[in-house]
Amino acid sequence: MAKTLMIKKQLFAASVTAALGLYNLTVQADVYANFPVTVTDYTGHQEHSEAYSGQIARHVLHNSLKQLTTMGSGKANTELKHNMMAYYSGKHNGRTIIDPASQEGFPVLEVAVDQLSIDKNLSDKTYRGLVPGWPGSMTGLEVVKFMIDQASASEGGYDPLNGYDYTQLISKFLMGAVFYHQTVDYYLDEKLAVNIKPNHEPYTDGAPYTGKEHVWDKAFGYFGAPAHALELSAADVYAIAKQQPAALVKADYNGDGLVSLDTEMVYAHAYYAAIFDQTGKTQYLHNIMQAFIDGRQLLTKANGQTLTLMQRSELKGYAAIIKANWEQVIVEAVFKYAGSVYADLQQLQNLIETHSGDIQRSYRRYVKHWGELKGFALALQMGSRDLGEISVQLNRLIGYSPVLLGNTQVVGLAKGQYQQASSISLSEYQMHMIKVQQLMSDQFGIKARSQDVMGDMTALIKQLGDTLSAEND
Amino acid sequence: MIETFITDWITAIWAMFTDGRKRLSILYLLVAVVIGLGWLSWKRGSRIQVAMLQLFNPSLWWARSAQTDYQLLILNQGLMLLFKPLMMGKLVIVGSLFLTFHNLFERPVWDSLLPSGLVAVLFTLCLFLLDDATRYGLHRLMHLWPMLWAFHRVHHTAQVLTPFTVLRTHPVEAVLFAWRGILVQGICIGVFVFFFGQQVTLLTWLGASVFTACFNITGANLRHSHIRLSYWPWLEKWLISPAQHQLHHSTAPQHQLHHSTAPQHWNLNYGAVLALWDRLGGTLIISSSTQKLRFGLLDQQQHDQQLSQLYWCPFLDFRRALYQWFSLKRRRVSYQESKT
Repeated sequence: MAKTLMIKKQLFAASVTAALGLYNLTVQADVYANFPVTVTDYTGHQEHSEAYSGQIARHVLHNSLKQLTTMGSGKANTELKHNMMAYYSGKHNGRTIIDPASQEGFPVLEVAVDQLSIDKNLSDKTYRGLVPGWPGSMTGLEVVKFMIDQASASEGGYDPLNGYDYTQLISKFLMGAVFYHQTVDYYLDEKLAVNIKPNHEPYTDGAPYTGKEHVWDKAFGYFGAPAHALELSAADVYAIAKQQPAALVKADYNGDGLVSLDTEMVYAHAYYAAIFDQTGKTQYLHNIMQAFIDGRQLLTKANGQTLTLMQRSELKGYAAIIKANWEQVIVEAVFKYAGSVYADLQQLQNLIETHSGDIQRSYRRYVKHWGELKGFALALQMGSRDLGEISVQLNRLIGYSPVLLGNTQVVGLAKGQYQQASSISLSEYQMHMIKVQQLMSDQFGIKARSQDVMGDMTALIKQLGDTLSAEND
Repeated sequence: MIETFITDWITAIWAMFTDGRKRLSILYLLVAVVIGLGWLSWKRGSRIQVAMLQLFNPSLWWARSAQTDYQLLILNQGLMLLFKPLMMGKLVIVGSLFLTFHNLFERPVWDSLLPSGLVAVLFTLCLFLLDDATRYGLHRLMHLWPMLWAFHRVHHTAQVLTPFTVLRTHPVEAVLFAWRGILVQGICIGVFVFFFGQQVTLLTWLGASVFTACFNITGANLRHSHIRLSYWPWLEKWLISPAQHQLHHSTAPQHQLHHSTAPQHWNLNYGAVLALWDRLGGTLIISSSTQKLRFGLLDQQQHDQQLSQLYWCPFLDFRRALYQWFSLKRRRVSYQESKT
């Protein structure tokens, strides 16, 4: 009798444990966290294998550098440039996190870069290829250094004479040259090859993660989504990125009252994916997140063994989903900002013609949007595939700078100085923006279509309805 | 595939009666009944029961011609779904026009030249005028050109008129009307957006352009009916009354006149809403209550109420008209050569 009771108790305990385990698995299925250690001869004490804090440290460096670009006084400033370079190429300890920093109603956990990861910089990971869309035949690394130099000498990162907003240019360019490039052209490309960082070995000696697990984690880190992004709506993700106090409860997944910059914050392209997903026409954020989680679960199931042909093929399938959706996010951004520049030009010409309103303010907005357009357009070209003619067309349509008020445009660099020449009119440049939108639409088949120049017409057409109704007179 | 098609087909038929942009919308039909009853009671002095009987006379609503209308209504909606891919998208026209203007001219900065409300009024008005004028033009061409008449003839084979006769249309004609609509809307939208940007909006009522809604809710469905609702003569010089359209059908005065078999009423009252175009084209006739109407065609064939014949015969007529046109051209050339 006692034995039967004992067995029943054990069965009950086992059932409860199994149920809890199942619950745990269910929860984990939506979160990029708590993946067990699968390295076969691991002797350390880590319980979980996911690790991407180095990539988050680079996001924080990028955000902080973006803030620094706005601090110029309009004169050459060696100290500011040195400070900016410290966040771009420095590796030393003691760098504070300028952004994201705690705000009222939205406290963050980390205050120093070292709390996330040590010895990290952005320059080591910046695209080393040629950037044909920027004057001076420079590599990606050289472009960033050049922009930092210019930004440090400008007033608030703004160069009205040449039409540059370095805050936007540096930020959007870096998002492409580091995060996007590293992920789609490196970690989810050559690093998925059989003999590179194999899954049956630790990434480095003594590491709690296998080669492929850590490759996958790094790629995830660069995307910039919080680990629980699948449990968040696009609006939630947007609000977290904006550090809105109301979003604290959504961001603080572990409920400690603080937002962990490592696992609970939103950065870079994840933020832009959420922006487009808010239109309700796309699911970029969740598509990418789901593919990252599915891929990581596949690696966990491989249990520290070499991936089979089928597993590798499946993993590459997830990588393809991530790459395609990520590229679409950047394409949507190019489309959106081409539309914004078009609208800015219309308003600017209106103000010039009517001699009314604040032209300087309007011009400033034009330059800002152009910086975002250019930054994303350049970023698009640093992915894993050669865009060929699309790149050529895109660069020619946008040019090296916006068309300035005297119908001039930057055409090159000589001895580090921008060279301007006579160009097309503002109205003709508007036409270029429509062509940029058409190019993106035709070549990539985008869906969100924010700031669609033709959008108003589409709405009117829908309002008028179908003409094919067979109604007679 | 087939399931999707059938679902779309049913949806299209349902939309005919629920969409405020369609003339057969239930609301417009009900209003037409009220107007019809009011007209018969007031103008003809009919008692309400008699007026109801006149309005819903089974011998009209269940006539062979009316049955054909119902069949065409259902079948045509399915056929239109098949033709949809053949339609050149409005957006293509709109976009092309917009880009052409951009290439040719500097885009004017009229975004705040006029109040948004005025731009909306201008856009809606221009769209209505262009739409109505081109309806008149295409309709007239369909009567004058034998190759087009071959298809439009189907509409005129209706021997009784009910509101459903509006959909008694050969698919080829429906496609022509659709292209006309696409062109008109494309031009209007392209031009207005080019000049006025985001200020351009359509003034709507009951889900349709305010002019379309006004036209439909003021008894447009009586145009295809046996209720000879006429306006004052002065008003019929500006707006086509149902009685005028019946003249068109009868070879007698304006839409009843339009459908009349009497030769003096052929080729008259082509207009849809405004009589202005008929006045300009010299084709307007004012309705008269004394005129006798006979709907259908003088050369009405027995098989003109058979669906298969209605769909197929127009192609034979078209071929004949085409052949005659070529023969005539050849004879003219021969005659000119013989003269020289």
